[in-house]
Amino acid sequence: MARPVAHGDDLGGHRPAPVYGLARYRRRARGADRTARIGMAVFLGSWAMLFVGLFFAYGFVRARATAWPPLDAPPLPRLLPGLNTLVIAASSLVVARAVSAQELGRRRSAGASLALAALLGAIFLGLQGLVWTALWRGGLVPSGGPYPSVFYMFTAFHALHVLVGLVALTWLALRARGSSAPSPTDVRLWGWYWHFVGAVWAALYVTIYLV
Amino acid sequence: MRPLPVAAALALSLVRGAAAAPPRKEGYGLPFDASADGFRVDELIHFTLLAIAVIFVIVAGMLLFSLVRHRRSHPARYTPGSKTSIGFALGFVALVLLAVDGTLFMHTIVDMRHVFWNFAAAESHPDAVRIEVQAHQWAWSGRYAGPDGKFNTQDDVVTLNDLRVPVGVPVVVQLSSVDVIHSMNLPNFRVKQDAVPGDVTRLTFEARTPGEYEIACAQHCGPNHYKMRGVLTVLPPERFAAWLRTVEADARRAYDPEDAEAHWGWDWRTR
Amino acid sequence: MTPADQVTPAQALMEAAQPIHAPPTSFWRKYVFSIDHKVIAKQFLWAGLLFLLVGGALAMLIRWQWAFPYRPVPVVGGLLFPSSGGAIAPASYQQIFTTHGLVMIFFAVTPVLIGCFGNLLIPLMIGARDMAFPKLNMFSFWAFLLSQLLVLASFLTELGSAGAGWTTYTPLSTNVGMPGLGQTLVVAAIFVTGVSSTMGAVNYVTTVIRLRAPGMTWMRLPLTIWGLWLTAILNALFVPVLGSAALLLLLDRELGTQFFLPAAAAVRGGGDPILWQHLFWIFGHPEVYIMILPAWGILGDVISFFSRKPHHWYRGTVWAMIVVTVLSAMVYGHHMFLTGMSPLLGEGFMLFTLLISAPSMLIVLNWVLTAWRGSLHLDTPMLFALGTAFVFGVGGLTGLFLGDISMDLYLHDTLFVVGHFHFTMAAASFMGSMTGVYFWFPKMFGRRLDERLGKAHFWFTLLGLTIVFGGQLLAGYAGQQRRLFDPFQYEFIRGLRGLNRWTSYFAFALFAGQFLFVVNFFRTVFSRRARPADPNPWRVTTLEWTSTSSPPPFHNFDRIPEVVRGPHEFSNPDVLRLTGRDFAGQAELLPGGGRPAVAGGKG
Repeated sequence: MARPVAHGDDLGGHRPAPVYGLARYRRRARGADRTARIGMAVFLGSWAMLFVGLFFAYGFVRARATAWPPLDAPPLPRLLPGLNTLVIAASSLVVARAVSAQELGRRRSAGASLALAALLGAIFLGLQGLVWTALWRGGLVPSGGPYPSVFYMFTAFHALHVLVGLVALTWLALRARGSSAPSPTDVRLWGWYWHFVGAVWAALYVTIYLV
Repeated sequence: MRPLPVAAALALSLVRGAAAAPPRKEGYGLPFDASADGFRVDELIHFTLLAIAVIFVIVAGMLLFSLVRHRRSHPARYTPGSKTSIGFALGFVALVLLAVDGTLFMHTIVDMRHVFWNFAAAESHPDAVRIEVQAHQWAWSGRYAGPDGKFNTQDDVVTLNDLRVPVGVPVVVQLSSVDVIHSMNLPNFRVKQDAVPGDVTRLTFEARTPGEYEIACAQHCGPNHYKMRGVLTVLPPERFAAWLRTVEADARRAYDPEDAEAHWGWDWRTR
Repeated sequence: MTPADQVTPAQALMEAAQPIHAPPTSFWRKYVFSIDHKVIAKQFLWAGLLFLLVGGALAMLIRWQWAFPYRPVPVVGGLLFPSSGGAIAPASYQQIFTTHGLVMIFFAVTPVLIGCFGNLLIPLMIGARDMAFPKLNMFSFWAFLLSQLLVLASFLTELGSAGAGWTTYTPLSTNVGMPGLGQTLVVAAIFVTGVSSTMGAVNYVTTVIRLRAPGMTWMRLPLTIWGLWLTAILNALFVPVLGSAALLLLLDRELGTQFFLPAAAAVRGGGDPILWQHLFWIFGHPEVYIMILPAWGILGDVISFFSRKPHHWYRGTVWAMIVVTVLSAMVYGHHMFLTGMSPLLGEGFMLFTLLISAPSMLIVLNWVLTAWRGSLHLDTPMLFALGTAFVFGVGGLTGLFLGDISMDLYLHDTLFVVGHFHFTMAAASFMGSMTGVYFWFPKMFGRRLDERLGKAHFWFTLLGLTIVFGGQLLAGYAGQQRRLFDPFQYEFIRGLRGLNRWTSYFAFALFAGQFLFVVNFFRTVFSRRARPADPNPWRVTTLEWTSTSSPPPFHNFDRIPEVVRGPHEFSNPDVLRLTGRDFAGQAELLPGGGRPAVAGGKG
């Protein structure tokens, strides 16, 4: 009989019994859960390269510009997007809470947290809409040169990602209240996605609004 | 058997032989080299040809030997590779890397820094000829600075698909494009440079043999890309000077301040 | 092979993670919206082979144009180009070479090499019941099909399909150079096929990490899987970069943004046309390796299988492939030496380009040394594998000229480049694919292709490809530029008329020779008389041949195998003594004692 060769945790023996009340306790994922996590990590890593491409383009276009922002462009607001940064950070925290609640089987709390995170996401999009309308009225339109091109492309593409996450969080929140509760892995992976979108925003806020 | 010295001797003789071959304007093989420095490219091409021929013969020869001798009836040797065979593979790769890739790298660094991309040296020559070329779909507009030596002024000489340069002095071309990316290719001078809209790129060469040569567009630039042919005429210095005098006089007479299309020049870039 | 009571704990865990599901029964679930990786592999194969034919036909039109410019195309000319009396017009010509490149790269070779073999082989060769994410796999195929339809639709638009070259350089590919819906549809197709590739890549990477059978350690993976896995990593990392470029171009075309359009001719400011080239080649150079790594892997295995000898220095090959994968991301600038890039940057890219030749050459030497003192069985797959090694060798060696800046000054944008990348990306990828098709056909369809037709096909293909692309190298050496509607406008290449014409004759023969394959393929798939294949007709070692039937059942393996040795256990005297065979399956327990024979190599 050949000696079995196993990969890592598959052979870890018994699953430990869930310990309630220890919020920081983290169970190591096994089997299908772990596969799903690795898949999501690979996907997010891959998708991040798309944003790397876009940031590269931003750097390129900016480096060749004679003035950035152009002299005739309306100044970008800083306060509202700054507020939005806080909103999206807060929603990330709330999603993290939802993940641990779901992990511990507290479905009502998880559902509430997910709903709150979705609400914060909606607020983010609303504020972003305000920024867009104000700038558009101020004369900044996508066809007005590289500066507005970069601005609208980045913010709109990011908003699209927020929208996807928003729909997913809402759907999870609704399901958490109903009978077909989402699995902890579903919640955790969408949570990762949401953190990813938040991280992209942070990079975006710094490059577009601050630098 | 020492294959390396043999190969090196062969390479040298081939390079010398090729350099001495009679010039040809059309047909197979490299086109006629009308430039002072094209031989550097040709030499490197011949060296590489020889090197890859040697590598190819060794590797394909081994495979061929196996194909002939190690057929179905030959008992296979049960080995995942011995120290000798792995050493052979690594040694072969290291040798090629040093002898071939290393030569290419060093040769090219020298060529590029001292000749093909050495614009400072070309520009510092007192008689250097400067030309601005603007590519557009589907032709080459050329511009000489005229008597005042300044570009983008009234006395500029503007030509279409017709560039002329003298023998024996460096020529510096600054290139741009109006619409899409083109690429100025001078096959008889072994140089080529993209013309990029929104940017000015540079090209330098020195003509050796008088005659008429072709300017080709090497970058696909639309349906009529194939028609984007210009002529580069290399003249003896005195005839070039005479031509320049004539066209400068013509340019003075033909100048039209209203013709905005013709005023595409830029101040000579001195990066 | 293992008696039921001898299931090891590791096997039991993998069984629990991948329970056997009942196969679908409805027609739609079984053949159309299937989540079975073997069916999806066949779908990719059909879609890819169909477009291979389309791309090949387009190539024939290009060859016709170079042999007989301005003359009407025989037979199909009147139908395709009625407005120009059956002759190819310049505007049609640029669409032909553009779509030839795009179709071949994204819609023919990629689906066959990666879509088909990736899907078919990853689960079967690592001992899994399916991909990690079967549904994602299905979506990947349907996204791919959508992108193919977008390309076909582009031909029906008013101004025709894309015409800016497969590289889609801006600003030619913006509205400035290519107005019309066709170019937009093609750029959209590139984006969609990118999404498909990304989905596939996520699946492949995860599956290999997670679902390897017990005992299938990294250094026991068949080289095919190494090739496919590294390709999947490159896909996951760099296809999204192409996606970002396509996205920006779509915005430029449709919403009037200004990423790629400069403000004025000789003035900085505005968008940057060179930005496209950076983004494109950051993806585009790894793409070259994306298309060749699976073929390398297949060759590594097939040459060992048919030499009946362990692969020479398996670890060396694996590490060389990994090094190539890493370096492939650092050489892209050699496509842009002449765009006015900073000399220092150019020299850096040249250095890495020259360095990447080292691991590539090691891989080729390992193939040769695998065959060395083997017992070569020259069946069709082996012939194709050796042919692939030959054309890849030629392609790789001619690359030395182009990775070098000063030779690139002369050779850039000539047919020398075209010949070079056709040897590597077209000839080697195509023959590598054919190696795979002939080799795994019994596993896919449960039947064997005809050997005589297969060998005839091989000789047509090898000689055809070598002569046609060799002709291109010669023409490029003499300075003929690529993408010329009428190359003979230029005096300095007028002497090449004969060369071009003869190259075209051989290209026509090459194309005609492919019908040997078409006939062989269809006859075997659909004929009732075709010979059913054994589970292991080639007498080789990997799991798909030794641990399941041909074709495998829906769940692949009745029991998930426990792997005990590497993939190339051939001609081991101990195995021969114990079993009377010259090979031992990766999961085979040898009679007479618990310890299996020591595997060839350290793995």
